[in-house]
Amino acid sequence: MKITLLSIITFFLSANMLFSQKALDPTPEDIQLAKSLREKYSKDDVAVLESKENITFELNKSDAKVVVKNSVREVLMNINHRADINKYEFYDSESSIESFILKYRNQKNTSFTIKDQFYKDNDLFYNDARVKYMDVDFPVQGYSYIYELEKKYNDIKYFTSLYFNDEFPVIKKEITVTVPDWLNLELKEFNFDGNTISKTKTRDDRNGTTIYTYVMENVDAFYKEKKAPGRSYIYPHVLVIAKSFKHRDKETMLFNSTADLYKWYKSLVDSMKDDTSLLAAKVKELTSSAKTDEEKIKNIYYWVQDNIRYIAFEDGIAGFKPDEAQNVFEKRYGDCKGMANLSKQMLKLAGFDARLTWIGTKHILYDYTTPSLAVDNHMICTLFYKGKTYFIDGTEKYNSFGEDAERIQNKEVMIEDGDKFIIKKVPASGSELNKEIYNAKLIVDNDKLSGSCSKTYSGESKTEFLNIFNSFENNKKGETLEKYLSGNDKNITAKNIKTSDLKNRDLKLSLNYDLDVQNKVSKFDNDIFIDLAYMDEYKNFEFKDRKTNYELNYKTNYESNVVLAIPDGYKLSKLPESLNVNEEDFSVLISFKQVGKEIVYKKQFVFKNAVVKKTDMAKWNDFNKNLKTIYNQQIIFTKS
Amino acid sequence: MNKTLLIFFITICFSSYSQDKTEVKDFFWGKSDTFKTVTKTPDKWKNESAVIIYKYEHYDYHNSGVKVVFTSAYRQRLKLQDENSVKEFSEFSFKNKFYSSRGYSYKQGTTFLGVKIVKPDGKEIEVDVDKDAKKVDDQKKIAINGLEIGDIIDYYYYSYEPFASLTQNFEPVENTLGDVYPIMSRKMKFLVEEDFYVNFNTYHGAPELKEVESGKKHTKAYELTAQNVEKEEFLRWFYPLVELPCYKFQVFFAKKSGDAVPYNSQIFLPKKNESFRKTVDKDDIFDYYEKKFHAVFDLGETLKFLKGKTFESEEEKIKAVYLFARHQYYTQFIESAVIKEADIFNSYAMYKNPDFFSNEWSFISYFMAYMKEFKIDYNIVLATARNNGSLDELLIQKNLTPLLRINTPTPLYLEYCNPFTTPGTIDYNLENTKGYIMDFVSNRTIANVKEVNLPSTTVKDNVTKVVTNVSMDADLSSLNVKRASEFYGHFKSDEQKDKLKFYDYVEEDYQKYGTERVIDKVGSKSKREQYNKEFDALKNKLKDIQKEDEKKSLSGEFDFEIENPTIKITNTGRYGDNSPVSYEEEFVIKNNFIKKAGENYIVEIGKMLTNQLEIDKKEVDRKNNVYMPFPRAFENEIVFEIPARYKISGIEKLNKNVQNSTGEFSSTAVLKDNKLIIKTVKKYNNYYEPNANWNKIVDFLEAAYQFTQEKVLLKKQ
Repeated sequence: MKITLLSIITFFLSANMLFSQKALDPTPEDIQLAKSLREKYSKDDVAVLESKENITFELNKSDAKVVVKNSVREVLMNINHRADINKYEFYDSESSIESFILKYRNQKNTSFTIKDQFYKDNDLFYNDARVKYMDVDFPVQGYSYIYELEKKYNDIKYFTSLYFNDEFPVIKKEITVTVPDWLNLELKEFNFDGNTISKTKTRDDRNGTTIYTYVMENVDAFYKEKKAPGRSYIYPHVLVIAKSFKHRDKETMLFNSTADLYKWYKSLVDSMKDDTSLLAAKVKELTSSAKTDEEKIKNIYYWVQDNIRYIAFEDGIAGFKPDEAQNVFEKRYGDCKGMANLSKQMLKLAGFDARLTWIGTKHILYDYTTPSLAVDNHMICTLFYKGKTYFIDGTEKYNSFGEDAERIQNKEVMIEDGDKFIIKKVPASGSELNKEIYNAKLIVDNDKLSGSCSKTYSGESKTEFLNIFNSFENNKKGETLEKYLSGNDKNITAKNIKTSDLKNRDLKLSLNYDLDVQNKVSKFDNDIFIDLAYMDEYKNFEFKDRKTNYELNYKTNYESNVVLAIPDGYKLSKLPESLNVNEEDFSVLISFKQVGKEIVYKKQFVFKNAVVKKTDMAKWNDFNKNLKTIYNQQIIFTKS
Repeated sequence: MNKTLLIFFITICFSSYSQDKTEVKDFFWGKSDTFKTVTKTPDKWKNESAVIIYKYEHYDYHNSGVKVVFTSAYRQRLKLQDENSVKEFSEFSFKNKFYSSRGYSYKQGTTFLGVKIVKPDGKEIEVDVDKDAKKVDDQKKIAINGLEIGDIIDYYYYSYEPFASLTQNFEPVENTLGDVYPIMSRKMKFLVEEDFYVNFNTYHGAPELKEVESGKKHTKAYELTAQNVEKEEFLRWFYPLVELPCYKFQVFFAKKSGDAVPYNSQIFLPKKNESFRKTVDKDDIFDYYEKKFHAVFDLGETLKFLKGKTFESEEEKIKAVYLFARHQYYTQFIESAVIKEADIFNSYAMYKNPDFFSNEWSFISYFMAYMKEFKIDYNIVLATARNNGSLDELLIQKNLTPLLRINTPTPLYLEYCNPFTTPGTIDYNLENTKGYIMDFVSNRTIANVKEVNLPSTTVKDNVTKVVTNVSMDADLSSLNVKRASEFYGHFKSDEQKDKLKFYDYVEEDYQKYGTERVIDKVGSKSKREQYNKEFDALKNKLKDIQKEDEKKSLSGEFDFEIENPTIKITNTGRYGDNSPVSYEEEFVIKNNFIKKAGENYIVEIGKMLTNQLEIDKKEVDRKNNVYMPFPRAFENEIVFEIPARYKISGIEKLNKNVQNSTGEFSSTAVLKDNKLIIKTVKKYNNYYEPNANWNKIVDFLEAAYQFTQEKVLLKKQ
C-alpha cells in the first residue's frame, strides 16, 4: 500500500458522500479468532479460514481433449491490524478464468477493480501468462471476504498438480476431485508423510463418478525463503496424471506411460523444420583447424555458450517445442531448448552423435517414472562419443566440457532415440571438483600485514567467478577485480594482480597478487595482537527460523592457508583454538599451528551435498557461534 | 455500406502508415546519412564497454493550423565492445501507438523503432521490428537478433505526436553533453515553425546552437554539433550542470494573435517578434513576473488565530503565523489524505471549499495578503538551486523558486511549507546563491528587480550531536549501547522525513491549534467509531512496519544486524529553528567490536562512531570541483564504561587532529571515573571547494576513517 502524503494536493471534492460498502464490522468472535491466528502465524497478514477446491472434468468431443474445471471458494480473514493484498490468478493460452469474484461477508459483491495484464517475469523475456488481480484492503482485524474462482483448462495435460499450501496460511483446505468413469486418472501423492491429510473415496453410481476428497488442516503459507528447494520437495501435493479416456468405446491414450510423454515431445520435435545448411560454414570454421575430436566438440560447445544469449519466450506451444537451429543461430539468442537443438545440429554436422534431451533440474522432485509435463523444465543435448555420454548445456556459460552443473547432476534425463527413448542419469561429482583455494604468506610490516597471495578456482567456483567477472564493463574489470579480492574492505589492498588465461575455461583459474592489510595489527605495551580474521568466511552464515533446507549454488569446497611469520624479537604467546566439525552434509576444519618461525592458519569449509538441511541447522548455528568466537580471537606475540 | 467504409478507412491508414515507415527509415539511414560507413572507433577508447559513433536528436515543432505536431527522433550508432554492452542493447521495449496527453483533443500518435546491426565485415542486417516485436500490455518488446561483441548497433526511435491546442508548454530539458559511453560525434537539430517559442543555450564549453538553413518557409532550424566527447561518471558531491559542458532548452507553443503576448507560458518568452532566446536577465524577470503575483487569500482563519494573542515582535508574530498556516493549509489535511488513500472513507467530502496550499504560488499569495493586511515591508525573491547552475545561467523558468523576505530588523525568509519547514530556514540548495529580489508596488505589480545574495548557514548552524554510552555485558561478549542524538539546522529535515511518520507529528499540531479532526466531522456516531477503528488499525500496521524499518536503518549504520533496538523521539523539532530533532536509542551489539586476546580484550571502540566515508583509490584522484550540500559539523561523545578488574591501554591512538581550511576531524580521549570519554568533531566548512582543496578534504576524511579503526586493550588486573 502506498500512502502518498502529498496526495492532498489533488483534492477531489465530491458532492455526494461516498461511504464505502465495507461497513461490515467483524464480530467479536471474528476478532478473537483473528488475534489467535495472528499469534500462530505472526508473519502473515491474512489467513484463509477455509478453502474448497473442486475439480471436475468434461470431454471436448470436437478436438478430443479433456477439459478441466477448477472451482475455488475461500474465506479470507485479516489477522493483522490491517491488510492490503493483491488477490490474483494466472491464466494463459491453455486456460481461462470464467469467474473471479470477491464478496463481502454478507454475500454482496465487492467493487474492487479487476485488472488484467501480462504476467511479467524477470527471467522470461516474453511469456503468454496473464494475471487477473484486484487490490484488496482489509480495514480492521478480523475483517473477511469470500473469494470465488472458476477456471478452465482446455487440455488436461497442462493441469498437473494440486497443492494444499497457499500464499497465506490455510486453516482448512479441502480438495475434491470428481473423476468420471470415462476418464482413467491417477492421483499420485507426494510428501504426504509427516502431514495429516485425510483422504476419502466415494462412489456416485448415479453420475458414474468417483469422488476423491483430501482435507488438510492448519496449512502453512508457502515459505518465502531464498535458496530453498523446489516446491515439489517441500509441500504435500497431488500430481494429476491423466492416462486415457473412453468415448463411444474408443479409448484415447493421454499420458499413460513415459512413452506417451515422449511420443508427444517427439511429435513436437518432428514438426520442427531444421535447416542446417545455414550452420555449415560456422561448423566448418569451428572444426577445420581442430586437431582432435574433443577440440571440435569443445569449439562448438563453447561457441554456443559464448555467442547465444539466453532469452526465453514462453508462448503457447513454444514453451515445449524447441526453436529451429537456423533461427537460434541467426538470432544469436534462444531459450534452453533452442540452444540444445542448435548444439545438437552443429555437433551432428561435425559428425557426432548428438541428441535432444529432456531433464527436470534439481528444482524438481520427480523422475521419468511419472508421465507428466511437471517432470521436466529444461532441455540439454546429449553427446554419445566413443562409448561415453556427455551432457552439453548451452545455457551454462563458462562451463568446461565434461563437467556438469550442480542443477543437473544426479537427475534423470530422457534422451531422444527415434521412436524410443533412453533414460539415463547425469552423474554426480564431488565437491573436490569445485575447489577454491586461498593462499597467503604474510609478514608483520610495522602496523600492517603484507605479503603475497594466490587464489585458485576450479569447477563451479570457476564458472561462478567468470560469470561475475565478465558481467562488468571492460573498463571496470580491473577495478572490480581489485575490489573483489579486497572484499570491498578499505583496509585491504590487492595489487600487481596476475591472472591465468581467463578465456580458457578448461584450465584451473588462478590469481596471484600482493596483499596489504591495514588495521589488523595492534601493539600494546610489549605485545603485538594480530587479527587474522580479515576475510571472515561464513561468519554471517547462520539460520534464523528457517523452515526449509538451504541449498548452496554448488558443492562448495573452500580452503584457506595463511602463513604468518613470527616477527623477529617476538615469541608466540597465544593462538586461538582450533575447531573441527564433521557432519553428513558439511565439514569444517579450522586450525592454528606454530611451525618453526611461522604460524600456519588453515581453514576448510566443505559442503559435500550443496545443502544444509533443516534438521542440521541447529548444529550449524552452534558451530557458527564457535566460529565467531574464533574469529573474535587474536594471535598474540610477546617480546622475547 | 458500413463495411465498405470501414475497409476503406483501414486501407487509408495502412498505406499512410507504411509510407511513413519508409520515410522515417530514409530520414535516418537514407542517402544523406554520412555515418553509414563509419565503423572505426578511436584507439584511445578500445577498452571502453561501448563507443557511440553517432548520436542524433531531432525535434520538429510543427503547426498545421488544425493540429500541432511534435516530432521527436533519436538515433544512436554504437560499437559494442564487451558482453556488458551487448546485453544492454540486446532488448528494447517501446511504446508503439499512444495517445498524446497534450492539448484538448487527443489524437493517436505513432512511433517507429528501427534497428540494424553492422557486422565487423561491414555486412548490414536490418531487424524486422514489426515481425519480431511482442506486445506486452501497452508496450512492445523486442529481442535483437544476431548481436555479438564487436558489432555496431544502429537504431532510431521516432515519435510522431499530433494534438490540438491553442497553447502548449513542453517539458524543459537539461542535460550534459556527455553520455555513459564516449561519443565520437553528436548532433541535435531543432525545426521550429512560427508560433513556437524556444529557449535554448549551451554552457561550460559545449558548442553553441547555430541557426542553419531550414529549407522551409516560416520554419527556422538550429543545430548543435559536438565531437570527441568523453564519457561521464557520477561523482560524490558533484553538480554536473554547474561545470560540465551542457545544454538546456524548453519550447512553448501559442497561436499568434496580433501583438498580444501569449498567455500561460512557462518559459521566458523571447523578445518581440522573435522565437528564440538564449539568456534571461533581470528585465526578463520583470516582464515575466510583473503581473504574476496576487495578494489574494481569505485571511479569516488567520485573524481568528491571532485574536487575543500578543507577540514580542513583528518577527515572532510572523513566525507564529507561518506555523499556523503550515497546519491550517497543509498538515491539517494529511490524515484526510491518508484516510482517502487507504480507502477508509471519502474524507475529502467532509470539507466544503477547503483552503489549502496547492503549490508555492498559493503559499506566496497567502503571505502577500497577510503582509498587505498588516502593512509589513517585504520583498519577493526568486532564487535558483545551486545544482541548476548560477543565476547568470538561468534559462528554465521552473528552476526559479519563489521566497518571501520579510524586512524585519533581521530579514526573515519564508519558503513554501511542508510539515517540517520552519520560518527563517530555506532550502539549503538556495543558500549562498544569488537571486532576484523585487518590490511589490500594488496588489498586482512588481518593481525594481535587483540581484541579491541569499543567506548562508555555517558549521555552527548545521550540527549533529550524538552522545553514545557504551558498556560491556557481564560476560564481556556484547556491548550495550545507549545513544542520544540531536540534529540542528539542515540536518533536521532528513531526520524528520526518515524517523517521523504522520502520526508522530500531526497530533501535536491538532493539539496546538485545536483543529477538528476529519473523522470528528462525520455526523453519524457509529460511522465515526468505525472509521476510528479502521484508521487506528492502519496506524498500528504502519507502526509495525516503521519498527522493522528502524531496525534495518540502525543495522545499516553498523553493517551488521543490531539486536533489540528501541527508539524514543524526544523532540520533533518542528516549532522553531533552534529546536533540534532529538531521539534516544538503546540497542545491543553482539559478536562484533570485541576481540578476545587471551584473558584480555580488544575493543574496537572507534567503530562506535559508526561507518565513516571511505574514499577509495579511484576517488582520491578527483578531477572536478567539490559541491557540498551545506557546511556542517558532527560532534560525538563516546563514553565507554571500563569493566571492573580491567585496565585500559592504547587510548593515545584515539587522539587525532587534522584541521585545514576545508574542515577538520579531531578527537580527544581522556579517562575519568573509570570511564573512557572520547570527543570527536568532524566539520565540513564550506558549500564549495575547488578541486585543489580536494586533498585537504581527503586528509580529514582519512583521519575520521582511521579513527574508526582504532582499538583499546582491556587488560585483566
